[in-house]
Amino acid sequence: MTIAASPGRRRGIVALALALIAGAGVHATPARAAVPAEQALVVLTAPHVARAHPRASARVIQSVPARAPLTRVRTTLPVVGPARGGWVRVMLPGRPNGRTAWIRTYRTLRRSTPWQLRVDLSARRVTAYRDGVVQRRFRAIVGAPGTPTPRGRFFVEEAVRLAATAAGGPYALATSARSTVLQEFEGGPGQIALHGTNHLAGALGTDVSHGCVRLSDAAIRWLAARIGRGVPVTVTR
Amino acid sequence: MSHPFRTPVLRSVGTALAVGCAFVAVPAAASAAPVDLATAKPFVVLGGSAVTNTGPSVLNGELGVSPGTALTGFGIATLNGAVHNNDAVAAQAQLDLTNAYGVAAGQPLTVDLSGTDLGGLVLTPGAYRFTSSAQLTGTLTLDAQNDPAAQFVFQIGSALTTASVSRVSLVGAATPCNVYWQVGTSATLDTGTAFQGNLMAAASISLNNAATVQGRLLASSGQISLINNVIDASMCAATPTTPTDTSTTGPPSTGTGTGSGSGSGGAAPTGPGAGGTAVAPRRGTAVWTRTTPRARSGQPACADGFNATLRGRQIKRVVFRLDGRVVRGTTKSPFRLFVRGLPGRHKVTARVTFKDATPARTLSLNYRACASVALRPTYGPSQFTG
Repeated sequence: MTIAASPGRRRGIVALALALIAGAGVHATPARAAVPAEQALVVLTAPHVARAHPRASARVIQSVPARAPLTRVRTTLPVVGPARGGWVRVMLPGRPNGRTAWIRTYRTLRRSTPWQLRVDLSARRVTAYRDGVVQRRFRAIVGAPGTPTPRGRFFVEEAVRLAATAAGGPYALATSARSTVLQEFEGGPGQIALHGTNHLAGALGTDVSHGCVRLSDAAIRWLAARIGRGVPVTVTR
Repeated sequence: MSHPFRTPVLRSVGTALAVGCAFVAVPAAASAAPVDLATAKPFVVLGGSAVTNTGPSVLNGELGVSPGTALTGFGIATLNGAVHNNDAVAAQAQLDLTNAYGVAAGQPLTVDLSGTDLGGLVLTPGAYRFTSSAQLTGTLTLDAQNDPAAQFVFQIGSALTTASVSRVSLVGAATPCNVYWQVGTSATLDTGTAFQGNLMAAASISLNNAATVQGRLLASSGQISLINNVIDASMCAATPTTPTDTSTTGPPSTGTGTGSGSGSGGAAPTGPGAGGTAVAPRRGTAVWTRTTPRARSGQPACADGFNATLRGRQIKRVVFRLDGRVVRGTTKSPFRLFVRGLPGRHKVTARVTFKDATPARTLSLNYRACASVALRPTYGPSQFTG
């Protein structure tokens, strides 16, 4: 016995097949968030008090010094969202990772950066964007499974030139991220940085670091000449 | 006395020419049909096939191209107006340009200047023809004889070229809005030329470095090429049919950069004269100019910064803002601000108030320091997780 498919049923099958193909396509290529062309920044010209809401009576999150702790340069923070009545919402460095709070726009300078950094932990790769366009990709060493590189949205707190004898030279881009495992390391607060490989072991493309992102000498020199304070760093799985 | 020529040299050009002038001048000036650019008026630069730019040019008016689509090199230019890339607005403007071009070409002839260099001439309102090419070397003076509506039309059979640092000077209430250059082929303005009027070319228009135009650049079919130029038609924007702007001396470019700021303000009150209307004068103009980025030793040319200068007439006060913050206010020329080459995109604005009844204006200038500015991190300890 043969069963002839009716035209209506045939259309249904075709539609189902198309839906499955379309669905498979969507899952096969997950949509990546577009990299913005520009990131607004504020440079602090005086210490500020970061609050939970844009009003003077709001809860204090923390005080933000006007100078960065390692190099004593002006503190620069990325802006999140629009300003509101003399207040601006910014990303904060330190624990817990990824905090935002409101500071007054008084005694700040508005700046912007066209740069963005993305760290892909699974690919062990760092990508530099300018104006939302890929400029360079670098192979990297990322955190070991026991001391992982924290994921989330961070920023470059300060760029540091390291002495020739220092581990991780010649440059380090110290980020706002802190290790979720190591509360203290080498006298520091477990700060995560993108840095070089001077006096450090490990092959590029592996996951053997204590949480920092290690890059080749050429890569970190290229980045240090371009990536300044406040540049967003997004770490993804 | 309405002699078209007032230069002694040209009085000896030839008897026939002189007679012709005297005979034709009065009726021509009286019956010349006004050239109307219609929808092409808002455009300060309108190209046919393409518009290209090199360097920090400033365009105070709209930019368009049609039927071509190529608008290139405007990344660091300052555009104080909309951009129309082969859209319906640009297409209609091209049609109106064609009409205006035809009207200009059909103006009753005042004098045939074929073979005469425009440099050194003083001309009164009328239509002047060159059967082939025209050349400007030095200064051409156009005297409207205190008639702000007076019209000058130049009918040029083929090409118009200017020598470097040539200029068109407007006196006696003449306005660049009523000066029309109908060019049969192409026009080339050499380095530092200070040009006035509406340049309508059948083919292409090329401006060399630092040439300035108070008026418009309109090319029917060809390309318009700019190199670090200032093109300003803002003085014509509010006066679509019968311009009331009175006149002036001094185009904004060739000098030291400060001369036309407030210096011409003293000469301006000579204007109203014959009109006798009660309308308050509005002679104020303001245009951005900027230097090329200054080099600092051992760094790229864009690392240090540049000077942004506001030039114009009747300027009373300028307040400069950088990214919304007031950085300088001044009432004396030069109205200049040194803009440091900060990393990232920035916006400089200047709020200009004028000595006469000209409404206050805000001009903006966007810039971005070049990407090759190398950062130099300072030394610090290594205290990272490694």
